[in-house]
Amino acid sequence: MKLVRPISATPLLLLLSLGLFAMQRGGYQGYGRQSYYYQTGPSVPSEFYWSRLQYTSSYAGGSSYGFRRFGGGWSRDYPKADNDCLIALRRLTRINSPSPLNVVDLDSDHVYDYPWIYAVSVNNWTFTDEEAKRLHDYLLKGGFLMVDDFHGTDDWEHFMAGMRMVLPDRPVEDLRDEDEIYHVLYDINEKFQIPSEVYVNTGRTYEKDGYVPKWRAIRNDHGRIMVAICANMHLGDAWEWADSPQYPEKFSGLAFRIVLNYITYAMTH
Amino acid sequence: MFEFLFKYPRSVYARGQFALLGAWPKWVLVLLILAVAAGLAWLIRSRLQQAAPMMRGWRSGVVWGLQTLLGALLLVLLWQPAITISELKPQQNIIAVLVDDSRSMAISEDGATRQAQAVKTLQNGVLASLNRGFQTRLYRVDAVPARIDSLKDLQPDAPVTRIGESLKQLSEETSDLPIGAVVLLSDGADNAGGISADAISALRARHIPVHTVGFGRERAEHDVELDDAVVAPRALADSRLAAKVTWRQRGYAGAKINLTVRDVSSPQAKVLAARTVTLGPDGNLQTETLMFDIGGAGARTLQIAAAPLPGEENTANNTLTRVVNVGSEPRRILYVEGEPRWEYKFIRQAEEDDRMVQIASIDRTSENKFYRQGISDPKELANGFPSRPEDLFVYQGLIIGSVEAGYFTPGQQELIREFVDRRGGGLLLLGGQFALADGGWNASSLTDLMPTTLPTQSATFHREADPRNGTTHTTAELAPAGIDSIITRLVDDPAANAARWKTLPYLMDYEDPGTPKPGAAVLANMITPEGRKLPLLITENFGQGRTAIMATGGSWRWQMSSPLGDTAHDLFWQQLLRWLVSDTPGHVSASVPAQLLLDNGAITLTADVRDQQYNPAPDAKVEAHILGPSGVGALVEMTPVPDSPGQFQAAWSAPKTGAYLTEVTAQRSVPNQGPDRNTGTVKELGRDVLTFQRMDGVAENFHTEQNRDLLERLAAQTGGQYWKPADLGKLAGAIPFSEAGVTMRETKDLWNLPLVFLVLLLLRFSEWWLRRKWGIV
Repeated sequence: MKLVRPISATPLLLLLSLGLFAMQRGGYQGYGRQSYYYQTGPSVPSEFYWSRLQYTSSYAGGSSYGFRRFGGGWSRDYPKADNDCLIALRRLTRINSPSPLNVVDLDSDHVYDYPWIYAVSVNNWTFTDEEAKRLHDYLLKGGFLMVDDFHGTDDWEHFMAGMRMVLPDRPVEDLRDEDEIYHVLYDINEKFQIPSEVYVNTGRTYEKDGYVPKWRAIRNDHGRIMVAICANMHLGDAWEWADSPQYPEKFSGLAFRIVLNYITYAMTH
Repeated sequence: MFEFLFKYPRSVYARGQFALLGAWPKWVLVLLILAVAAGLAWLIRSRLQQAAPMMRGWRSGVVWGLQTLLGALLLVLLWQPAITISELKPQQNIIAVLVDDSRSMAISEDGATRQAQAVKTLQNGVLASLNRGFQTRLYRVDAVPARIDSLKDLQPDAPVTRIGESLKQLSEETSDLPIGAVVLLSDGADNAGGISADAISALRARHIPVHTVGFGRERAEHDVELDDAVVAPRALADSRLAAKVTWRQRGYAGAKINLTVRDVSSPQAKVLAARTVTLGPDGNLQTETLMFDIGGAGARTLQIAAAPLPGEENTANNTLTRVVNVGSEPRRILYVEGEPRWEYKFIRQAEEDDRMVQIASIDRTSENKFYRQGISDPKELANGFPSRPEDLFVYQGLIIGSVEAGYFTPGQQELIREFVDRRGGGLLLLGGQFALADGGWNASSLTDLMPTTLPTQSATFHREADPRNGTTHTTAELAPAGIDSIITRLVDDPAANAARWKTLPYLMDYEDPGTPKPGAAVLANMITPEGRKLPLLITENFGQGRTAIMATGGSWRWQMSSPLGDTAHDLFWQQLLRWLVSDTPGHVSASVPAQLLLDNGAITLTADVRDQQYNPAPDAKVEAHILGPSGVGALVEMTPVPDSPGQFQAAWSAPKTGAYLTEVTAQRSVPNQGPDRNTGTVKELGRDVLTFQRMDGVAENFHTEQNRDLLERLAAQTGGQYWKPADLGKLAGAIPFSEAGVTMRETKDLWNLPLVFLVLLLLRFSEWWLRRKWGIV
């Protein structure tokens, strides 16, 4: 009987450990809240739909335990981050966007109806050839993709592995402060690394080996930015935790200005 | 037969005056006719009782009528009816015989050229019979009349025929000669567009009748002739242009023919467009529009041709030439947008590939922020929408997106009107949540500027439901007026183009633009989810400029939802925006009546000169610098046109065939400020370039069928007669009756006409025959 407690605790500990590990890798997905937003948001005719990209996650280069449905890496911080961003968009611009949040899936041509899409945890994304072609066409026809929330060398490599399926020959460039995208709505002359909410407990602005923020982009033939890349940063958390007294305002403020500039740029260029 | 019955030629009756030569007054004749009628009536009535019963009704009236007519006719003959007419005195008058000597007379028909047939006709007795009563003078006629000694001097190689001018010149040159009549042998293929009123007046002033003799088939048996090709005389570089080709054919109904447009000013005469079409019924005009890219800047000479068909009688009329002046100055459009929206982005994206159209824009990104794009210097549009004419009028086009009318001050609204009306700019209004009626434009001072009468109510703007969930959509389709429009041409073939419009992805939103005004053209419609058909694209000319409404802000789906590489969206917007600005004039706008001078170098240059605010500048100094072929050059000063402020004209003549480049410059003296204000500096207002071309001998290849209508009209208007060659044996008989030259007044009796005796006999015989029929003889 003395062994009953340890024996029964072992599987519980194991389950707890696995859960914590999964949460570390995938983050807290808040499924209940997602379904609330997702299911109770009948679309309202809008000029702009905040659209998050849904894709199949495949952790660490093809492990089979990534997945596509809610709870996949694509839905990290959804919907609160998106919702807070949408509120800022409505308050601070004249962009018509009354519709609730929107999720677009690369497995459908409806992605073409939303010239702006936001994707996170793109170090985990994988595409079929059909999906890669759809995203390729989407971008070259005039669509805009903002990617966020991936950190360090490995994440970058995994992100680029997917990107090379989409735009094989397009160079990635570092954006300079004077680039138009940082002046289209707000003049953003000073940028710094925007950390995730981990910063609240650790004080660290970086994760993994992503010590330096990378403001990068991929352009089309006319120089228009098609893909805006926020690497070694987590703007989604900065929006999500903007109302937290522990999360510094300066990070959220910059994150909001960045995304509003990106959206305005997408709608003007 | 006519002369057998009437004794004299038809022209005697046409030109002579009727007279009664009897010495008794005419009223006596009338009285006697009435007396005869009354007497016969009394006589018949008095004997009616004894007559057979069947004669007591209407039959007695018939007998009375016949007898009265007989009596009246006999009485008229007693008054000696006659015709008085002027007649040429024998051997004292000259008959001018004119033979068309132009190239069209060299066309061979039935084994001989038209001119050879004319010569043969003259030699086969016509000249001889004329010479018996008159002197004759031979002339050949092309651009001018020239006297010839013999018919052997004719050579049908002249590149032009100007019948009217030649006759006028002949009349003037022979004013001291007794010309009794003119005989013109021609196919009527006149290149001057008809006989001028001046020429007719000159002939009528001398009472010279022109007898015309028509040669040549009135209908070709096997021929295709290009009738016209309409091409815009000006274009922006890299523009897509339309050549509207019209032709007529005979003898090839149902056959196929290749139409081509070539740029013959390019080294290899590059083919710009080609199409095979099926020929319609004989004689019908057919039209086809060929679309092509005009290419880079410069003067372009286009050759529009129909490939010759086997057995064609005349292949020289299968080609037309047109001149297009392709400008290199980029056009600028000011685009004002009231909110960030996708339409704005995708319109700008479509224009990225068009180097000739630049968009400077103001986008209201937040309540208090405006984003400027495409500006040429930091000061441009720094204060928002311009408030001064010189700031707005630097643009050639203006797009107003989803912006409320109230955003513009009354002064700015008036400026927008002036931009279109006076400056000649293009205004495009887009649909949107703050646009058209929903933006209060229906109550603005610019309602008359709109191509539609906007709805009086608001809530006319509707967005598509979330496309993923929506089941009803707004689609576009081509309207009839859009079939030939360069704006809406996505595919060259008209039928394929109409089908292409139906396959365009649905629109993301639409706005009811109201009812098109008279004079407006609806180029495309849209079908709303409720099934209503509303105008989508409406255009109209207003004042010096043009306005249009594109009643949606959701055409961007044509780009995003079409396959990658599909050009429909970009092509449509590029063509629409080029239409918006292409015809917007500069400060100097030069023009000529026709860019192609056929056989005649005379040309009138016109320039419309405006100052910096586009008001007429009548005090400008305007000059035309002309450069032509083989070193031809001229500096022509243009003079103001009375009662047309700002308009200047100059007449000039192009001496040689070839292309001419003309640059018109306008300058104005501006008084100096300060102490030396009595002096001034010369400031250039602007300049414009135009091209024209002189071509000789081309017009003669067209309209080679006998123009009988022209010859008949010429004869009728001068008192002459149209003759077929086969009837010319009677010409000598008709010629003498003329009021021109040395004449005498002749009186010709009519009482002894064979017709009179026939009528007398007929009247008596009719009465006899009727009585026999009625059984009372």
